[in-house]
Amino acid sequence: MDAPSYHIQSYCMIRDRTIAVNGTTFLKTNADLTLADFLKSAYRQLDIDYPKFHKMDSLCKAVLIAAELMDRTSGPYASDTALIFSNRSSSYLSDNKHATGIFDTENPTASPATFVYTLPNIALGEISIRHQLHSENVFFIFDRYLPEFLVPYTNAALDDKPIKSAIGGWVEIGEHTCDLLLYHIGKSGDIPHTVAELKRIYNEHE
Amino acid sequence: MKAEVFIAGDCIISPLGTGSRRNFEKLLLGETAISPIDDPALADHPIHAARIADNQWVGKIRNPQHYTRLETLFILAIQQLIDAHRIPVDERTLVLLSTTKGNVSLLHNPAAQFPPTRVHLSAMAHEIQRYFGFANQPITISNACISGALALSVARQLLQYNEAYDHALVIGGDEISKFIVSGFDAFQALSDGRCRPFDRDRNGLNLGEAIAAAYVSKNASDGAICIKAAGSSNDANHISGPSRTGEGLYRSICEAMRLADDPMLDFISAHGTATVYNDEMEAIALHRCGLSETPLHSLKAYYGHTLGASGLLETILGLHSLRTNQLIPSLGFQHPGTSKPLNVITQPLARPLKTFLKTASGFGGCNIAMVFEKV
Amino acid sequence: MSELTEELKAKIISQLNLEDLTVDDLDDNTPLFGNGLGLDSIDALELIVMLDKSYGIKLSDPKEGRKVFETVQTMADFIEANRK
Repeated sequence: MDAPSYHIQSYCMIRDRTIAVNGTTFLKTNADLTLADFLKSAYRQLDIDYPKFHKMDSLCKAVLIAAELMDRTSGPYASDTALIFSNRSSSYLSDNKHATGIFDTENPTASPATFVYTLPNIALGEISIRHQLHSENVFFIFDRYLPEFLVPYTNAALDDKPIKSAIGGWVEIGEHTCDLLLYHIGKSGDIPHTVAELKRIYNEHE
Repeated sequence: MKAEVFIAGDCIISPLGTGSRRNFEKLLLGETAISPIDDPALADHPIHAARIADNQWVGKIRNPQHYTRLETLFILAIQQLIDAHRIPVDERTLVLLSTTKGNVSLLHNPAAQFPPTRVHLSAMAHEIQRYFGFANQPITISNACISGALALSVARQLLQYNEAYDHALVIGGDEISKFIVSGFDAFQALSDGRCRPFDRDRNGLNLGEAIAAAYVSKNASDGAICIKAAGSSNDANHISGPSRTGEGLYRSICEAMRLADDPMLDFISAHGTATVYNDEMEAIALHRCGLSETPLHSLKAYYGHTLGASGLLETILGLHSLRTNQLIPSLGFQHPGTSKPLNVITQPLARPLKTFLKTASGFGGCNIAMVFEKV
Repeated sequence: MSELTEELKAKIISQLNLEDLTVDDLDDNTPLFGNGLGLDSIDALELIVMLDKSYGIKLSDPKEGRKVFETVQTMADFIEANRK
């Protein structure tokens, strides 16, 4: 087997009420905090002045926080850093909110601020704006985190073009739950970008 | 040396009928799928939209009551391609699905006939996989309105880099629903008539539905068209409004043209949704790329904006242009309406055609440009 | 009149998720778009929905919207003139 060409330069995991970067805890709150309050605490701890955060849905907030933390660790991101994300529920939280609004019998409402988040790739747009990434985006839907697909796909994308970095992973956000693993991939780094390593990382915090 | 990848077959199911050739012929006759629709299940006011009639899909698949309307349409399109090209369903065939919202019409809908779990795109993919017995799990791409073209680009990459795969089936589709209509309404994005891409008096888009399917292969059979290159870049500007300088689209086109070795383009199939901002942005991006003189159309006034199908649907019709050497006019255009000029095709025109550029842009600031070339 | 402006400020802050602002921070005459509060096109659309749902006023011309939404005061004036 050839030596891996690409490495994980940093990774962020958000599991339920814990956020960790490269395995080190950044924030851990009470389990009974709502997801919204948990993400707000993380935003405050990040100490950035980015009021747009409050308009985002939970999926975008979680992604923004993770991208911010990785940027501090292995950034700044090159502007052509490809974004290769995946999840199972797409933009379900916002879909649910919009559908509830329009089918309400007493006061049916459609909010543009909610509707805009009813696409999973908006999360890619949000971090592109925050970090000025003019890069390729792709959002895959799978029924579970699938490094067996994502690793070769990402490696081929990096081999294929002059781009030398990517952010990829799994961003499954539920009403109360968070199952997010994002990683910044580049040529150098301590952890090889392989299926085995990603499975190890994904499972070790179980 | 990377293998070249081709589109060797295609299928369209749209309000204009089933079959891509039939659809293409209707475009040449100037027929549109868009009509006024006054349906309280969609909106509390009439809209102009393009909807597939029930008789085109009811009762045509095995065990029909088990599948949602959208799943049925996907299955019909896939079956057409499998039958026409004898495509195996084994591990050498990839399946890629492109959809923005899948079965979302079921969500909180009192008239829904299926459980809410079916809303998940992975559930829809699973149903399709099971129907055909595909060995490979379908790969679903949900990336706003560039999904259809993006799925072609992903299929190409997967075939080029994997000797384990010979073929890919790429299918794109979305359904008109109250969910989607109400959202675009809240954005004040809908036109009050048939849309007018690039026209001075354009005032919004029409929604449409269609299923588009392509058979992608490493073999250049008769009539196969090469997927020459793809470029994709985000605007990094705003999550719903396009960049005023067309930055992301400009970069996407530059990259696609560079990777395709700067070909002479015979025409451009633009995104052209007919919103004030999109068409203006596209004109700016194309001008920055030196493409203001290249014959251009948008097909959105024939089909409406078909969301997850659009990139693929419009590409397929472009392929038929290449095969028959006929340019399709840009319906709905009368007076130039962008700050940078465009060479909008206003009549059907027969001339030798070899290469075209397809562009698409979507919410989230995403953009894609792809070059297709006749072999 | 000031009751309406206070009510509007509270609604704007809540509807537009302006988390870090209080009603006291919002001046009646601060420009809402551009250099003032820096609201964007989606915020403008949300304000249109708010005008409809809370005050029964339907605004369909975006050019009219720009004038109406200049400041909290212009919004209040418009609502007073047009509410049902």
